[in-house]
Amino acid sequence: MWKYVLKRVLLALLTAFIILSLTFVLIKLLPVKKHMGRAPERAAYYSEQIRLGYIYSKDAPEEGSDPVDIVVFDDGTRIYYYQMPVLSQYFSWIENIVLHWDWGVSKTIEPNVKATVIIGGRLLTSMKINIISVIVSVPIGIALGIWAALKKNTMVDHIISTAVMVLISLPGFVLITFLLLLLCYNTPLLPTQWPQPTDPTSQKVLGYIIPVTCLSLGSICGYCRFVRAELCDVLASDYLLLARTKGLTKRQAVMRHALRNAMVPIFPSILAEFIGIMGGSMVLEKLYGITGIGSLFVDAIGSEDYNILFVDMAIFTTIGLLAGVLLDLSYGFIDPRIRMGAKK
Amino acid sequence: MKKTKKLLVVLVALVMVLTVVLSACKVHVCGHKCPICGDCTDPECKDPVCADKCEGHDATYLPIADHRAYAKAELESVKTNIGSISTAIDAKVQAAYEAGIAAIGAASTVKDVQKAFSDAKNAMANEIPLANGVKSFKAASYDVKAQILGKLEQYAVNNGITGITLFENGGYVMYNDRITLGTENYILGYGFGVLSEGRITKDLDSEQTTAWKRYYHTYNPVNPGTANYLDGDDSTVSDFYGYIAGSYYTNFMNAEKDGYDWVPELALRDPEPVGGLSESGQSAKWRFEIRTDLKYSTLGKHKDQFDGLTVQPEDFLTPYKLMFNQANGLFRGGESVNQSGAQYIVGSKEYYEATKDAQKGVDETVDFSKVGVKVYEENGKWYFEYQLGEAVTAFYARYYIASNLYQPIPVSFINAIGGIDNYLGFNENKSDTPVDNSLSLGAYVLERWDDGQVVYKKNPNYVYASSKYQIEGVHINILPAASTDRLAGFREFEAGKIDSSGIPQEKVAELANDPRTRTTMGDFCFKLNVNALSAETWEYMFGTNGVIKQTPKDQYWNVKPLMNNQHFLQGLSFATNRKEFAESKGSIASANFFSSNYLSNPELGTSYNTTEAHKNALSGIVNEDTDEYGYSVELARDYFRMALDEVEAAGLMTPGTKEKPTVIELTCVFYYASFEETMFKPVKQYWEDAFNHDSVSGGKYKLELKFLAPSTTDMAYDMMMEGQFDIGFGGITGNPMDPLDFFDTLSSTPSVSSGWTLNWGCDTANANSDIIVYNGERWSFDALQQAGTTTVVVKDGNIDGSVVLIDAADQTVTASGEDLNVTLVVEYNKEFGVGNVELSDLVLFGGTDDYKAWSLIGGETPILTATVSDDGNGKLTVTFTLPAAEIAKVPESDNQGVDVYVSFVAGGIECEELVSFYIFEKTE
Repeated sequence: MWKYVLKRVLLALLTAFIILSLTFVLIKLLPVKKHMGRAPERAAYYSEQIRLGYIYSKDAPEEGSDPVDIVVFDDGTRIYYYQMPVLSQYFSWIENIVLHWDWGVSKTIEPNVKATVIIGGRLLTSMKINIISVIVSVPIGIALGIWAALKKNTMVDHIISTAVMVLISLPGFVLITFLLLLLCYNTPLLPTQWPQPTDPTSQKVLGYIIPVTCLSLGSICGYCRFVRAELCDVLASDYLLLARTKGLTKRQAVMRHALRNAMVPIFPSILAEFIGIMGGSMVLEKLYGITGIGSLFVDAIGSEDYNILFVDMAIFTTIGLLAGVLLDLSYGFIDPRIRMGAKK
Repeated sequence: MKKTKKLLVVLVALVMVLTVVLSACKVHVCGHKCPICGDCTDPECKDPVCADKCEGHDATYLPIADHRAYAKAELESVKTNIGSISTAIDAKVQAAYEAGIAAIGAASTVKDVQKAFSDAKNAMANEIPLANGVKSFKAASYDVKAQILGKLEQYAVNNGITGITLFENGGYVMYNDRITLGTENYILGYGFGVLSEGRITKDLDSEQTTAWKRYYHTYNPVNPGTANYLDGDDSTVSDFYGYIAGSYYTNFMNAEKDGYDWVPELALRDPEPVGGLSESGQSAKWRFEIRTDLKYSTLGKHKDQFDGLTVQPEDFLTPYKLMFNQANGLFRGGESVNQSGAQYIVGSKEYYEATKDAQKGVDETVDFSKVGVKVYEENGKWYFEYQLGEAVTAFYARYYIASNLYQPIPVSFINAIGGIDNYLGFNENKSDTPVDNSLSLGAYVLERWDDGQVVYKKNPNYVYASSKYQIEGVHINILPAASTDRLAGFREFEAGKIDSSGIPQEKVAELANDPRTRTTMGDFCFKLNVNALSAETWEYMFGTNGVIKQTPKDQYWNVKPLMNNQHFLQGLSFATNRKEFAESKGSIASANFFSSNYLSNPELGTSYNTTEAHKNALSGIVNEDTDEYGYSVELARDYFRMALDEVEAAGLMTPGTKEKPTVIELTCVFYYASFEETMFKPVKQYWEDAFNHDSVSGGKYKLELKFLAPSTTDMAYDMMMEGQFDIGFGGITGNPMDPLDFFDTLSSTPSVSSGWTLNWGCDTANANSDIIVYNGERWSFDALQQAGTTTVVVKDGNIDGSVVLIDAADQTVTASGEDLNVTLVVEYNKEFGVGNVELSDLVLFGGTDDYKAWSLIGGETPILTATVSDDGNGKLTVTFTLPAAEIAKVPESDNQGVDVYVSFVAGGIECEELVSFYIFEKTE
């Protein structure tokens, strides 16, 4: 078992390394951003790029390669700027990480701050909101699913199923815009923006309502649908009929047999949801002004803050792969019939 | 009587029969009748009525008489623009003009009209002498500069390189009723004086922190993560820095509240020239007295040490030492040292090169003495002296040094915060914020910096703290939603969270007359840039051997012949209903190239757009036949007809049929996909409706506009800068105090435009590309624009960089511990009117890390006297003896010697130049 776990973890780390290397190379193969503006401004921008090791300059054109830009000064002097070979950048990047554990600092999002520090701070904000939403959504979703399954084909089931269908179809940006207009702007009950650290505690608490509601509604619907489907299957199974014929009450049969078996595929999905809490919601964070992890990745790409991008990628790739290992292992704990790494 | 009755009856019957017969038959009416001979011009028409075919006259969409009338009017306009030069030249121009008018009148085809017009224009141009010699109008009056700008603008409009302006970005702004504005009337280049002269009379209820209820609340879509404008390349960082930064000079509203005054802020008085002013009232070296009572402010963790600390004179030099130190990698430093002219601080480039491997922060081991900024005491007063790359008037001497980048800073503070990397921003671990890492000499001091808010508090130590900036603080809410949702800011305003917001277009009608609404003027014009190049000129500029960019054959842009037609571009301009377009966006309609804040006289605050020079320049597109913003759909259609006739006559396009028209597809490049609805579609509708109207070409041509938004803004700009577009949305902003200088962005020559041009239409370096007459001479666009802002050598109307005005051969000799006798021959170009040549300085220099340089003939006690003799025929001989003792003082290096500077007058312009290096190698 432990050997299997170790093997899976090492494989996950190797995969992460390959993914990151590919990401680095592919991103660096993108055309280098050409700075717009007059010659002095462009020269200043490229000086910084040269200092960072991304490009180099020449006084005359280089045979066989296209310059990133040519800056012509007022006296007619021309400077040709070329992109550094990608592999040279790659090895320098790897060297900094392996030898100094230096993932670099942010260049545009929060200049001079370590990329790891920025991501750490934002991760915490996103996780707080997401944990609360999981705590809210799991019991509500499961309870509604059970209720709908037990009341299958009744008015209750129809109402729950219809509501689930409607809410699950609503895109996130529509939902948050609707909630903002309804509860913040038209009726000023809640803060219009994610509260500031200087705001009173009551405001901070109220500030969670919009994001948690937005994040939870989708999950509640998902759980509800999943639990209802699984439970309906189990309730129609022979062994449950046998349990009832053996004299168990409906409540006893459901609690002791149906629910327990229905939960086998549901629990891993709850675990997967917990992994998802690491990543924020880009739309939600943008519209409600939450400085979380969700929009960071896109912002980093847009502003070419590659150090942030690579740390972001490294964390989420590693977490994702290790979570996969953990998820596989969890099946063994939930269902003792499943054995990991067992020989045939 | 009976006979008469019978005759009448017969006649009536005959008429009736004829009427019935004629109405029953379809009679062919020739749709292609030549306006000259009346015969049919359609070779495919088989109708007997059209049996007689026109052989000598071409088809026209616009009657030939109208062609003649337009050509005559244009020739008249050319003559008016040439103006009066001298009696003899005027007479010749008049003769050429009259001959042209006669030739146009006699022309029977479109081609003939064009030829007659072009010949007459060339004949008139040939009578005007081309500009030659050393030229400079940089010291000219503001009125003269406005006239030059008008001439250049007219050329630019005629050749389409101003693009087609859509609107100005000003519009409607709402202010919370708790704000009392400094003035109710918007002041160009200044605003309403909200913070500087305004007041807040009530608390903001929605603010949760009691101390901030009287702060001015505003928003920004992004948090820049730093206030370090020394290293910032965008306006957001500049805005955040601006609240805390002081500058030598600033602006405050004048007493009449209709303009603004320049007042010293960190300086004590206005600048004065060092060594006096030249005859033209200019100097490159200036100084001003600095305040010695300034105090720093901070609310951060270094408060105890630095808050209230008096600014020391040497602190004034620290920002320069930081910026020009290449090792610090500060963006604005790199930019500054690459500037030219008056924006350049003398010696900064050399210092920048010398500090490539210096230590970060302030490296005192690198010699700073050759950089043109110094602080010294004289008669108990402290002075800051600075030397610009070019002589300027007193106004610009103040303007160019007024940047808040130069706010003093103590070196001890840089050390205390852990180095230059942390200055005005966060440290690596984010344990120190910009609040901790900043010192203020400006109106406000940083109080708090969170991810979602940045807060400033009034600086009690600010120079004008008692009279200006009475609002207690500024609270900036970071509102990321505003970057994607243009209503986000307005909703926050309506919710009472912020104090001001622009009114979104869908609310303009409802709120334009609200008492809280104010109208602002713009500082930027949104334009449709044009690629109006002919195929030949495109090839010359961007082809495989292009002078601007070399493009492989398979990537050549498909240049549209119509885009190279001036009348077609004018037609597009006339077809644009700017008033309707701007009103729908809550902005200001404009056909001007410059927004209102570009001032032809910055001292009086005169907007260039109000000058006669501008109005004349624009008369071709805004006149009595159009509305006040140059819109007239009828005129547009006339110009389209004229353009089609011209391109057909030139054999550049062939018409299709109504069923299968010739399609003219114009690719319109925009930055964002979202602009398709808001910006592109209205323009598409205006232009296509005007052009595709049956009355223009009878359906033989069809104009189609195609929207293109590349994946990034940079790509859109790239396409425009490399001629890969037909129409491109955007614009460039420049120095509003000097619109003539900013006009270099219309040049097609990279060394003139600094490689920053979005419109293409002609070769601006060539005086023959169109007529620009100024001061009785004919110029190229580049030559006149450069002469208006600097000193330039002009040959045959064009800039000629190859003309050497003054030169001396560099020499390398060996110094062997004895005095060196030096003889230098300086040659000057008499042909270009160089005279009054004088030796202005001999500077001994040498050393690498310990670089030193000092004047041999300047200063209070000159080290030597040089003998100068001028033969009057272009040779100046300079002889001097370089003492061995002075040579010995030169630190050893690979490069040591004497720089020889010479002053001279060329074409009436005072110049100074470094003409030679007298290099010596030292031996034991």
